[in-house]
Amino acid sequence: MWKYLLEKEFKQFFRDPGLPKMALAFPVLMMLVFPFAVSMDIRNINLAVVDNCMSEESSRLIEKCTSSGYFRLVSHGHSADEAMKLMDENKADAIITVMPDFDRETVSGNGFPAGIKVNTVNGTKGSLGSQYILQCVRMYLAEKNQASGIQAVQYAEISEKYYFNPGMDYKLFMIPALIVIAITMITAFLPALNIVSEKEAGTIEQINVTPVSKTAFIVCKMIPYWAIAFFILTACLVIAWAVFGYVCRGNILWLYLFTVLDIIVMAGLGLLISNYSGNAQQAMFVIWFFAVIFMLMSGIFTPIASMPDWAECITYLNPMRYYADAMRAVFLKGSTPADLWYDIAGLAALGTIMVGLAISSYKKSE
Amino acid sequence: MNTEYAIRIRNLVKKFGDFTAVDNITFDVRKGEIFGFLGANGAGKTTAMRILCGLSRPTSGSGTVAGFDICREQEKIKRNIGYMSQKFSLYPDLTVRENIRLFGGIYGLKDREIKEKTERMLDMLEMKDAGGRFAAELPLGWKQKLSFSIALVHSPRIIFLDEPTGGVDPETRRRFWELIYDTAGNGTTVFVTTHYMDEAEYCDRVSIMVDGRIDAMDSPAGLKERFAARSMDEVFRIVAGKAVREE
Repeated sequence: MWKYLLEKEFKQFFRDPGLPKMALAFPVLMMLVFPFAVSMDIRNINLAVVDNCMSEESSRLIEKCTSSGYFRLVSHGHSADEAMKLMDENKADAIITVMPDFDRETVSGNGFPAGIKVNTVNGTKGSLGSQYILQCVRMYLAEKNQASGIQAVQYAEISEKYYFNPGMDYKLFMIPALIVIAITMITAFLPALNIVSEKEAGTIEQINVTPVSKTAFIVCKMIPYWAIAFFILTACLVIAWAVFGYVCRGNILWLYLFTVLDIIVMAGLGLLISNYSGNAQQAMFVIWFFAVIFMLMSGIFTPIASMPDWAECITYLNPMRYYADAMRAVFLKGSTPADLWYDIAGLAALGTIMVGLAISSYKKSE
Repeated sequence: MNTEYAIRIRNLVKKFGDFTAVDNITFDVRKGEIFGFLGANGAGKTTAMRILCGLSRPTSGSGTVAGFDICREQEKIKRNIGYMSQKFSLYPDLTVRENIRLFGGIYGLKDREIKEKTERMLDMLEMKDAGGRFAAELPLGWKQKLSFSIALVHSPRIIFLDEPTGGVDPETRRRFWELIYDTAGNGTTVFVTTHYMDEAEYCDRVSIMVDGRIDAMDSPAGLKERFAARSMDEVFRIVAGKAVREE
């Protein structure tokens, strides 16, 4: 019986006009396009300078900023109003104002009469931009002090060392997370849509009057998607290695282990969605709802630790949180399941709840 | 197991909340009989039929279908009945042969049996050349004949037909009923719902459901005599006209 059902599902999958192409395109897009698109490295910050000093010192400071590669000088003048106007028109992201006595004060070491204004409409760009400027200022001061032989250290030297991703390479950071997103979509939402469309077509009714058990029917439906999930995981790892030279630090087996755990949770969720949706449109809305929450509350794009407490509470219910954390840890740090017991526990708990709810609501629909 | 009856139903009730869809019906269907199950839309036909097919559990009452209990032995019932729904429900993106193979396989037929059955079936349906076509591409009349044959693929003891001839021309309907007669002639019990009263005349016995109850049940000739009507159409209007329930 299983043989015939599986045969049917695979035939239908490969005959679908979109699905096989999507399964192939997904890993390629994910590895070759998305890592660049979701990069948080900020470049080309438009900088306006209001230079009221026009001295050698002030131009050295400005040169320090522009030579960093992060900034693009859009205006260099005397008028603070003009600079503000540029910011209002969104042509400048940051303004450095240099006071008239800048050269004298800095040389004497009394102070640092300069101001920084940052446009924070785009918060990320703004906060990173101000940090870059501060860094440039520090570098400027450091060089100056060395040159003039002034011993007084005006700032605490902070040395940072980045572990596990020394180049702070955003792509490396995002690749495991993108795999997580793809696998979640494919193993939860596509089977849900598939089941709902059989409901809509009425074909499920014909199966229900046969001795096929509901479990067999559902499992056979999900198996092709599981196969695709593992195909995508493997393809992504191969592409990441072949194109970027990234290799998984940990045992690849653990990536597969966590994927299996995630698939169980997602199978439950997919079935749950299909139980409560009568047609594909309803299902799409529910899927969209979950997809957005899963992604934004997962720590994939923004760190969970910087969320307010109540938001952090929500992330505990998000399977993607545990799966993404585990995949990143295995890929970047080489963690083992023993280190990641917390993620295993989270996924196992959510899996038990989801599958339990799905089965009980499925039985009720009789 | 009583050897004379294919279906025995006693005091069957199905409630959805406050609404009583099936209100205490009792009837028997003999083996090899063509039993017409009539009723206006919303009279409770489909609900009752779903219970008989093991798709739904009754609120109260008891009965057997093909000798198996409708409350406890639904899986055994499913193995011994065929069902053709009013909506075409074969897989549109599988070919005719693949659909036959799928349902044959589901009912536990061996690969070799399926192959033989497929050829015989396509021969009988005069669809030899259509075996490789997708089910979605077939004309409606062919789809219905194919659904009917697939519902019989495992040689069930009872076949349930839910408005099997909806939307096709009179000639195709006539030929469809020839298939039904052949099937009943082979000893299979046929349980059929229909809206066409000329088709009701072809049945051995007919029941008419009104507001969840069976208000009349007899052979077509018996019913016509009792209601002093010339046709089943008239009988139906007299009996079903008493309905209070809205559609």
